[in-house]
Amino acid sequence: MNAAVGGHSLDLACPPDDVTAVHAFLATVWDTEPTVSAEDRMALELALVELTSNVIEHGAAGRGVSCSLHLDVGSDAVEAQLTDDGVPVPVDPSAAQLPDALAESGRGLALVQMVVDDLRYERVADRNLWTVRRGRH
Amino acid sequence: MDIVVHEADAGAAVLECSGRLNMVSAPTFRETVAKVVGDGRPRVVVELSGVEFMDSSGLGALVGSLKAARQAGGDLRIAAPSDQVEMVLKLSNMDKILRTYPDGDAAVTDWA
Repeated sequence: MNAAVGGHSLDLACPPDDVTAVHAFLATVWDTEPTVSAEDRMALELALVELTSNVIEHGAAGRGVSCSLHLDVGSDAVEAQLTDDGVPVPVDPSAAQLPDALAESGRGLALVQMVVDDLRYERVADRNLWTVRRGRH
Repeated sequence: MDIVVHEADAGAAVLECSGRLNMVSAPTFRETVAKVVGDGRPRVVVELSGVEFMDSSGLGALVGSLKAARQAGGDLRIAAPSDQVEMVLKLSNMDKILRTYPDGDAAVTDWA
């Protein structure tokens, strides 16, 4: 795990790293970006932990996964990119919907969609790239 | 996350949770509820005032635990959700499935 505060970047090697590192990283980002509202922090923490959880759970394919998270805090919006070297993702994130009420999984991407203004997924070379943007409130 | 189990009335328990309910802690949460239910306390109250973060992994663990409690003739209730937990319950519509009480005592006392 490698965190460069100021550039707001975090590199993870999972395992042994897990989403705990994302929570800790965001806490340091908010410390250096005190103008980001509590509402925006809650939304972005949920979105980025959900996306990282998906990468760890589905992208690792039994051999572990490396990922990098980059955050740009602008005056109007916060943008984040998450890239990983895992297997390609066979879902259309824009079509993510909440599952049945008693389902025990499948809510992650739907929740991300609700708390960001833009969610995109691309396969770039041999990496997955997730991009999220949330206008600041 | 930390979970402290308080044995309430016969058949009921209050699980006082703190920390984060995410993919790291969800398995422990499920195991703890399964043990409480298996030990004869199928009426489970999950007290969440100290949980500063919950995500879809946490929701999945709550739903799985709700099913386990109901299969044993009980139920699962939420008490005192933090702002973040309340946001996630509302966004996911799970606030319609999981009954929420202001605190652990209210959730247990009301159980007839």
